[in-house]
Amino acid sequence: MAIVVNLDVMMAKRKMSLNELSEKVGLTLSNLSILKTGKAKAIRFSTLEAICKALACQPGDVLEYANDEQEATTRN
Amino acid sequence: MAWIIFVGLSIEAGGLIVNFIFSVLNPEFVQNLYQKLDLTEMYRDSRLAFFGIYSFILVISILKVFLFYVVIRLMHKMDLTKPFNTFVSNQILYVSYYTLSIGLVSLIARQVADKLMQHGFVTDGVDQFWADSQAFILMGAIIYVIATIFKKGVDIQNENDLTV
Repeated sequence: MAIVVNLDVMMAKRKMSLNELSEKVGLTLSNLSILKTGKAKAIRFSTLEAICKALACQPGDVLEYANDEQEATTRN
Repeated sequence: MAWIIFVGLSIEAGGLIVNFIFSVLNPEFVQNLYQKLDLTEMYRDSRLAFFGIYSFILVISILKVFLFYVVIRLMHKMDLTKPFNTFVSNQILYVSYYTLSIGLVSLIARQVADKLMQHGFVTDGVDQFWADSQAFILMGAIIYVIATIFKKGVDIQNENDLTV
């Protein structure tokens, strides 16, 4: 998908574990995992707001647009 | 109920296959077999017509067996607590395909049988195999519409499940 979720990068920058983020955001671990692995099809504004608040970042830090070719190059 | 129909249709299809084999190998014995479907006269007149009509009869019977096999599989594997999943959606779609196929093959078979009758072939006793072609087409079309709506519903549910 063209939208890449950089949640793991932001979590590493803030040295925050998935459990800790889960508690702060109020999302289940499975839902956070879906988001982190890029399986999510949509994200609610309320969830994005909570994540940005917990990680002290902007939505653009968590989400990034990459066209498919660029994404394939990054993966390789 | 579906099991009883499935077993009945399997027996019918099996009986017709046996009939077909005996019609070719030992035509005299056909009178003692299932439904007494004797097309040996047609076999003598035209082998093409005989094999054509028998192919239609066998294809329709086998398709009906497959249809009820899919229905049984659907009923056994469907989880009523979470019915909206890809498996159920696909099975309903298969049911619609089989039903439509039965209807269309029956319709073509009926036209072919009518044409053969006009050309002087004896087609007595075969009408019962494609008497309900229009009902199958109508039913298939309705099931296809339901399957399409169901598939869309499953897609929406999947999207909802993957919204965090």
